[in-house]
Amino acid sequence: MSGREARAGRFPGPSLIPALHAIQREHGWLPSEALVELSRETRRPLYEIQGLVSFYPHFRTGGPAAPVEIGVCRDLACWLRRDQAAIDPETLYANEDAVSVCQLSCLGRCDVAPAAVVNERPVSLSAADEVEAAVAAAREGRLGHAAALIPKRTWPTDPYAEEDGAGGYRVARKALAGGLDLDGAVAELKASNLRGMGGAGFPTGLKWGLVRAEEATPKYVICNADESEPGTFKDRQILAELPHLVLEGLLLGMLAVGAEQGWVFIRHEYEPEERVIRAELEQMRTEGLLGDDVLGSGQTLEIEVFVSPGGYILGEETALIECMEGHRGEPRNKPPFPGTHGLWDKPTLMNSVETFAAVPAILERGADWWRAQGAGDADGLKFFAVSGHVETPGVYCVPLGTPTGELIELAGGVSGARPMGAVQPGGASSNFLGPDALEVPLDFDALPKAGSMLGSGALVVMDDSTDLLAAATNVLGFFRQESCGKCVPCRVGSQKAETILAELLERGGGPADVDARIEELEETMRLTSICGLGQVALGPVLSVVSLDKSPR
Amino acid sequence: MSATAATPRTVTLTIDGTTVEAAENATIWEAARDAGIEIPVLCHDERYDPVGVCRVCAVDVGQRVLAAACVRTVEDGMEVRTVGEQVEAQRRTLVRLLMADQPAPADDPKETTTADNELLALARRYDAIEHGLPDGEGRPTDASNPVIETHHGACILCDRCVRACDDVQGNDVIGRTGKGYETRIAFDLDAPMGESSCVSCGECVAACPTGALVNKPISVPIRPRQELTQVDTVCPYCGVGCALTYHVDEEKNAIVFAEGREQPGSQRRLCVKGRYGWDYAMSPQRLTQPLIRRDEHYPKGALSADVRGEGRGRRKPGGVVDYGEVMPAFRETSWEEALDLVGERLGAIKDAHGAEALAGFGSAKCSNEEAYLFQKLIRAGFGTNNVDHCTRLCHASSVAALLEGIGSGAVTTTYGDIVNADVAMLAGTNTTANHPVASSFFKQARRRGTTLIVVDPRRERIADHADIYCQVKPGTDVAFFNGLLHEVIALGLVDADYVAARTTGFDELRAVVEAYPAERASQICGIPAETIREVARLWGEASAGVIYWGMGMSQHTTGTDNCRCLIALCAITGNVGKPGAGLHPLRGQNNVQGASDSGLIPMMYPDYQRVDDAGAQARFEEAWGRELSSTPGLTVTEIIGAALTKQVKGMYMLGENPFLSDPNINKVRKGLANLEFLVVQDIFLTETAEFADVVLPASSYMEKEGTFTNTDRRVQLAQPVLEAPGEARRDFELIQEISNRIGLPMDYESPREVFDELAGLGASLDRLTYDNLGPAGKLYPNPDPETSDGIAVLFDESFPTANGKAKLVGAEWLPARELPDDDYPFVLNTGRLLEHWHTGSMTRRSYALDAIAPEAHVWINPDDAAELGIAHGDFVTVESRRGSVELSAEVSHREDRGNVFIPFHFREAAANVLTIDELDPHGKIPEFKFCAVRVTPADGATSP
Repeated sequence: MSGREARAGRFPGPSLIPALHAIQREHGWLPSEALVELSRETRRPLYEIQGLVSFYPHFRTGGPAAPVEIGVCRDLACWLRRDQAAIDPETLYANEDAVSVCQLSCLGRCDVAPAAVVNERPVSLSAADEVEAAVAAAREGRLGHAAALIPKRTWPTDPYAEEDGAGGYRVARKALAGGLDLDGAVAELKASNLRGMGGAGFPTGLKWGLVRAEEATPKYVICNADESEPGTFKDRQILAELPHLVLEGLLLGMLAVGAEQGWVFIRHEYEPEERVIRAELEQMRTEGLLGDDVLGSGQTLEIEVFVSPGGYILGEETALIECMEGHRGEPRNKPPFPGTHGLWDKPTLMNSVETFAAVPAILERGADWWRAQGAGDADGLKFFAVSGHVETPGVYCVPLGTPTGELIELAGGVSGARPMGAVQPGGASSNFLGPDALEVPLDFDALPKAGSMLGSGALVVMDDSTDLLAAATNVLGFFRQESCGKCVPCRVGSQKAETILAELLERGGGPADVDARIEELEETMRLTSICGLGQVALGPVLSVVSLDKSPR
Repeated sequence: MSATAATPRTVTLTIDGTTVEAAENATIWEAARDAGIEIPVLCHDERYDPVGVCRVCAVDVGQRVLAAACVRTVEDGMEVRTVGEQVEAQRRTLVRLLMADQPAPADDPKETTTADNELLALARRYDAIEHGLPDGEGRPTDASNPVIETHHGACILCDRCVRACDDVQGNDVIGRTGKGYETRIAFDLDAPMGESSCVSCGECVAACPTGALVNKPISVPIRPRQELTQVDTVCPYCGVGCALTYHVDEEKNAIVFAEGREQPGSQRRLCVKGRYGWDYAMSPQRLTQPLIRRDEHYPKGALSADVRGEGRGRRKPGGVVDYGEVMPAFRETSWEEALDLVGERLGAIKDAHGAEALAGFGSAKCSNEEAYLFQKLIRAGFGTNNVDHCTRLCHASSVAALLEGIGSGAVTTTYGDIVNADVAMLAGTNTTANHPVASSFFKQARRRGTTLIVVDPRRERIADHADIYCQVKPGTDVAFFNGLLHEVIALGLVDADYVAARTTGFDELRAVVEAYPAERASQICGIPAETIREVARLWGEASAGVIYWGMGMSQHTTGTDNCRCLIALCAITGNVGKPGAGLHPLRGQNNVQGASDSGLIPMMYPDYQRVDDAGAQARFEEAWGRELSSTPGLTVTEIIGAALTKQVKGMYMLGENPFLSDPNINKVRKGLANLEFLVVQDIFLTETAEFADVVLPASSYMEKEGTFTNTDRRVQLAQPVLEAPGEARRDFELIQEISNRIGLPMDYESPREVFDELAGLGASLDRLTYDNLGPAGKLYPNPDPETSDGIAVLFDESFPTANGKAKLVGAEWLPARELPDDDYPFVLNTGRLLEHWHTGSMTRRSYALDAIAPEAHVWINPDDAAELGIAHGDFVTVESRRGSVELSAEVSHREDRGNVFIPFHFREAAANVLTIDELDPHGKIPEFKFCAVRVTPADGATSP
């Protein structure tokens, strides 16, 4: 057993998470009698159930929910636009038993910041009437589903954009008909220089090739649709507007590595988008693209949706796998990596929504076409979620390598035409860059040279009035909140660092007052945390300190 | 399964500049350790699979981030740096982070007791006591368990306790709860430890590196281990025979705490009895002075209301003999007077009525040496074979079937060998309660791939771990196993070569089981036919299958038949004589194997040489210098019967308590009262001692040296731990004193001398000596004890029968003797609890065990209880044709409908008042597992 992690609470057997969802659906919460009965019937230990229900925010153990639950986002993009709130639910409903208000981590609705949810339905606090209407409807139990936001527009990564849906799944059909050499397809992806768009930027073709070469079976393919980092919501729009590309990419991944089963792992806050995906899956089934003997190819292909029980950490690929296996979503020690030892210890290909969605176009139009889409030295196209202090927050698709300032201009420029104070170019885990970053190209190589990273493709813009240390501390607070608690540096380090910084801000301190302890903690968290969450959590704070020191 | 493992590939790497070879699956930590380089750890312990959560073992492997050495495997060409400023700085910060939330060292629950807090040791090394970080706000303490305190504030979430509880012991109680900084360890659904399903084995305490999980003091305050004396010995309770170390305060003559010790079988594990149940030896109720019954207490009879049977309905928990009630019937006396009286009276009975009027009960709690001396005294001194012990009440039928079938009564393989089994069957064994440490290996094997089949009418905890659980109806085992035999044969899964070469009687067996197709077996035993066929297929297709069984098989009037079926099941599939296969009756007492080996049974001399075998008789007559009787003696239950009819008039009772342990107590009471003379040698006044003429205060297990043979045939040397109280003397001396007074001189200076004599009289212990047993003991047979642990798997070539072959004996199913009817509609099953030992004389005087399980209950199915209008905790009357008891109801899903269960430990509600004294015709074992009772709500209030 040497070198492989202990099960340490990861009980073997089928996941109990579906049974827990069922109990919660029945009772509205998880009464302990029902949990004891579940334990007895499944012959699974109580501690395992406790571990799950206390880990996943979706599970409720304290008692039934209030009729109306308002969750207010506390993270960076919403924090930056907190002065836009037309309504303060916390004070407005303070005396109402029927309404409970709590704070939540990033809801992935930074384009309507400050964002909130009323009984899981997204609203913007900038529209008081919208919130009040939702609350009124929720009180009466008639709050319906929200529809996904689908503007009438096309995207350059969609090869079927001009065909009005008629040519959908052309690449997959070709592959199923034997017209696509799968080794060649993997080589094409390699040649395209397509890299993982979820944050780490691992070369996609290389990953597909590695999993394809694995001998162990069965293999699995997972689309990671769990983007949850503050400022990040571009996958949400890709899911809503380009579901056929996401699922075709996933299907091609399954064919390329030899998997019969694929999943879309989607965060539960994306319920409107989840319904789009489910509808698209139905459509695929109707067209014979899923099931046994797909299009007469002899191939079995199944894709299911797995709804996350909550938590940013599940976006980490091994935490996501742990969750799917029915365990606490705690990242694994790596190596081994999912490509060899993934879901149920089998070779598993995992890519993010945007990555899969890029595959059909590349395989249809070729690697050269894709590379030519980039700007400067960079290859291909990139979706960005732009939020914070800009006039028109939203999702933009631009050539990779587009200068930062250009993207900000696309989003209408800095709000109120104020000077830019700083940006986070790649989501909450990327380091802050100062005003001179406007010239820096947004790509995998230039941003690290400038001291940050492309990360998850979320550009958060802060104007010159922003207290950058407070902003970076808000980001740290997100990571502290979302730490799974598995390893010491992240679990304790994030908490101690936040305590130190909160005290410092409380007494009016600034970046110059940040002491050596934070540097030590940053180094230890970066070097010794099990996963990326702990490794990057204090980076933004230190970047603010060094911005402060750099000559203006 | 026995194929030799391929030599693992090795890789070459450098660690701190030194070139190192390591197995390709080794971790960096292991490779460094083997190279003599120590990498600090907190969450890691070699006993557990790594988790890599504390990160203190961080090392530089030339990558962007450091690697956790405990969990990272080595790679060819890897360059590892385990020291250096950067690595050490991270360790310092990590330890400071942990220290920030810890209690101050002066208040630390571990620093102030055993003083071996591993975190504090690292904090001192890394200058991290003064951590310079914001202090934590403290976390609560959970003191709800009687023996373990949980200090969440001292917890570093290393997951060692999680792995100890879940991976090692398989108790599955501890896990993480919450998320992020709020994460804690929790028991069950975050219950207080004392209200959770925790079985208090203490493995978590042994695993904890900090003050988070610590022992509460049981006897005297817990002190640093270097201030205490360590005595390496063996647990006094069950047949698993776990090796342990007592940490002793010599000045106070007290055990302070116990820890598991390395030994191939038990591997440092202990259960609640072993870890916390040792303080009985220090009880103020220990007998310290010989006692003689006062004249006014003749004619003899029970001295206490409970033992008279008048204690019915006593609802106060706690139950040992009330010394205030009983002791006035005795006067203290000198050793000379007491021993002379014993010699004189037993001698007089022999002279007047002949040797057969005498009998002796030895004890499976005594050593091999004591058992040997005791039976020698009875046989050569008294002149009768009327010597027996509680093996009669536990595995006599198993031994009868095994001797008949394979020529040896001992196990053919060890409990740990389950790891090599494809399929393991646990039949009639509540193993988590009765052999807790063995059960931990069973549970672990299952997690590593062994298919576990549990056969038991009670859904005990082990059933929760079974791949297939067969809840047979009580008393239908033969039908179930005949069904399996039938289907194994029908499916063509018989190992024909093995049957031909290694067995006789297959055709006769087949003829018997012919009549038990799965459908018919199913009608009798209640297991669906398809399940019977599935089990038969699994068993027949297994490349190695092993059966472990307990008293659920043996304690029936068909006990021998039950075991014959098990033997047949193993033999026809070739499952004896190879790793992962065999027959293993799990022995109850710590020395029931050894006592039987040493001749403490009425029909055998030491090493199972029959008393009616002329050659054996001659050998022992020569060895002992006395004429010996060739008539097999009476068994335990027969002796009590003979006392009732006054055929047996004088008895020497060494450490046995038949009043509570034998069936049909109302009969036992009369039998004991009938005895003309009874000498009881024990450490406490037992229920049986109420009928004694003379009571001799003996040494406890803790106060003497001797060897003990566990269920695996492992002979281990126990060491004296404490000084005996008052004038109490070693059993080894007392047997000799009495022997000398009845005309058989004995002059052994030490148990070692006795062991050598015993080992010289039979083949089993041949070559074993006190000197070569070593700290972990040795298995017998053992051709080379100097270098070998002994032979785990026996009979790989032939069986020790006359023709070298196993004899297959088929059995027809017979119903139990007293079936339920309208008057007595329930089946009563009896047995033990995890926390208690037999008649409770030790465990009810143990603080921990009494606190956890203070009172008697009757287990009853929720639907039955509802029908009878009985709520959990209600007092009920349980009545059989022989008597009745009152006790509170434990309404439990673990009991099937129509069945009830009462543990036999509790004098105030003694299960054996109800049991039937019908015997198995071969093993003479009583049917403790089946009699008919009725259950009615008792008048009045609920349990206090």
